[in-house]
Amino acid sequence: MAKSLNTVDVVAPDEVQTLADVGVQIRPDEPQVRAGTYVLRDHLPLCVQTYREGLEMMPIAEALRRYDWLRERYYWKLISPDQDEVTRQVAAEAEPQGYFIWVRQGTRITRPAQAGLFISHEGLSQKLHNVVVLEDDTELHLITGCTTGRAVRSGYHLAVNEAYVGANATLTFTMVHSWGPEVIVRPRAAVAVGDHSHYINNYVSLRPALDIQSNPRTYLNGVRATAKYMTVILGSRGSIIDTGGEVWLNGEDSGAELVHRGVCTGGKMYQRGFLVGNARCRAHVDCAGMLLDPGEDGFIESVPGLRSFHPEAQMSHEASVGKVAPEQVEYLMSRGMEEHEAISMIIRGFLDADIEGLSAELDARIGEIAALAGHGERK
Amino acid sequence: MSSSTGNILEIHDLHVEVEGKELLHGINLAIPEGQVHALMGPNGSGKTSLMMTIMGFSAYKVTRGQIIFDGRDITGLSVTERARLGIAIAQQRPPTIVGVKLRAVLDYIVAHDSISAEEVTQLVRQARVENFLDRDINAGLSGGEIKRAELVQLLATCPRFSMMDEPESGVDLDSLALVGSLVNRLFVRDSCRPVRRRSGLIVTHTGHILKYIEADRAHIMLDGRIGCSGNPHLVLQTIAERGYAECVCCMNEGA
Repeated sequence: MAKSLNTVDVVAPDEVQTLADVGVQIRPDEPQVRAGTYVLRDHLPLCVQTYREGLEMMPIAEALRRYDWLRERYYWKLISPDQDEVTRQVAAEAEPQGYFIWVRQGTRITRPAQAGLFISHEGLSQKLHNVVVLEDDTELHLITGCTTGRAVRSGYHLAVNEAYVGANATLTFTMVHSWGPEVIVRPRAAVAVGDHSHYINNYVSLRPALDIQSNPRTYLNGVRATAKYMTVILGSRGSIIDTGGEVWLNGEDSGAELVHRGVCTGGKMYQRGFLVGNARCRAHVDCAGMLLDPGEDGFIESVPGLRSFHPEAQMSHEASVGKVAPEQVEYLMSRGMEEHEAISMIIRGFLDADIEGLSAELDARIGEIAALAGHGERK
Repeated sequence: MSSSTGNILEIHDLHVEVEGKELLHGINLAIPEGQVHALMGPNGSGKTSLMMTIMGFSAYKVTRGQIIFDGRDITGLSVTERARLGIAIAQQRPPTIVGVKLRAVLDYIVAHDSISAEEVTQLVRQARVENFLDRDINAGLSGGEIKRAELVQLLATCPRFSMMDEPESGVDLDSLALVGSLVNRLFVRDSCRPVRRRSGLIVTHTGHILKYIEADRAHIMLDGRIGCSGNPHLVLQTIAERGYAECVCCMNEGA
């Protein structure tokens, strides 16, 4: 077991704050609020700690040395190294970087585990391969916070994420991104979900990078397996953000719900949600965008899609793009709110709409997006 | 502080257009501090436009004239600034806002105004709006529910000058008593020497609301102008007996 120093001793105070902004809490009472912590700065794992029996977290390279079955059953099994340029670059790393998280059978963990991945040097390339394995009858909430140090403007974050959810298991994966303005972000993710299991994918991008592509694919292989995606994005001038996800409904009576909420204050924003029905199933994609002072060439393109191979696949989609209505803003202003407060409240409502059981972590992040967006100028 | 004229609101030669079309053609109106005036008139005569303009909604563009509140020219002020001076409006058809709850607005008011959370809780109970506190604001509400939701917000901000757009419309008789009592509370006495209540302007079609709140004066609007003004009971009675047609004749004679 890769035990390191206490996390509070190895992470610098300004980095503690940077990580806290993306939901990764490095603090003395961490064992009371988190099940485990993994922090990677640039290419170096700073700390790896687990506070819970049945949960293992370690650098992927160490896990590959230790467990032969990891390579045989999981490593590069959902995503091919030849898939694209990103996967090829990650596969070409001599010593793979990234984390391995393993939840042993029967372990249900209520406190979140957290992984902080951050870039502290200008122009650095992080190439990561992360694997998460949940055995049968398990539960894990994993918060992954990816960010850059305060002064860092540019860098590359390339990641291959593979996750396996066994039977009767629930994985909640909350990814919070906050990047420097010229960072290029390319996660490639795939998740396989077994019988009666649930996968919840939350993605929040706070400080938009230059260029993000994140469309994780989920294979609902098990009977009654479900997936729920919630993607909340703030786009700003000059950024290209292409996010959403894909769900393949392969198991009988599987179900999926994809929700995408984007606020565009400039830049190009693509909202995606693609469903593939291979069995009797029910699924829905809902993309909604709000254009807030998008500037000359800012736009939202909403692209929900369905592909059905099965007559009993019940799938549907909806998409809408709108603006903050002046009469709504002024209505709230007539109760004494400043214009930016009114806009924040409306955006907050737009982002919150129809999201049940929002975790406190995600809720706080959405509040930040609303506050940031509210300070933009309205036209 | 009251202005030297004793008027809380003065409107001089107000011309207003919406989407390039002039709807108000030179309104003159003065409401003394402590008075509540009623505004009557047929549909489309400009009553709502006048209120929305006083509140400062940007769709209503002032092309000429002035709005003076408490001695200060507010014609160029934002909605927020006007609200903070103590002007408030209960709209007839307030917008719905997806995801924004009535509770969130009331929480904001508690955080920024002088009213306490306990007092708001009490208000919420008295106005019977508990059931839609956590629903999207104004969404799927009946006429009476909208009035109550609007009035709760006004009562929580304790405005110096309240405007109400047809508080009785869409309200059944049972709820009218409740709406009436809430309206009445808005204009409670705010000083003893001289005895004086808070001020306001109420748009009413039917005059039913005037059974609950005594108006000091009534104005009749016709085609973007104030046609005549006078004792509310007399005005109501005239309209009840002869309709607005009489007023049109009367105005034409005067012109």
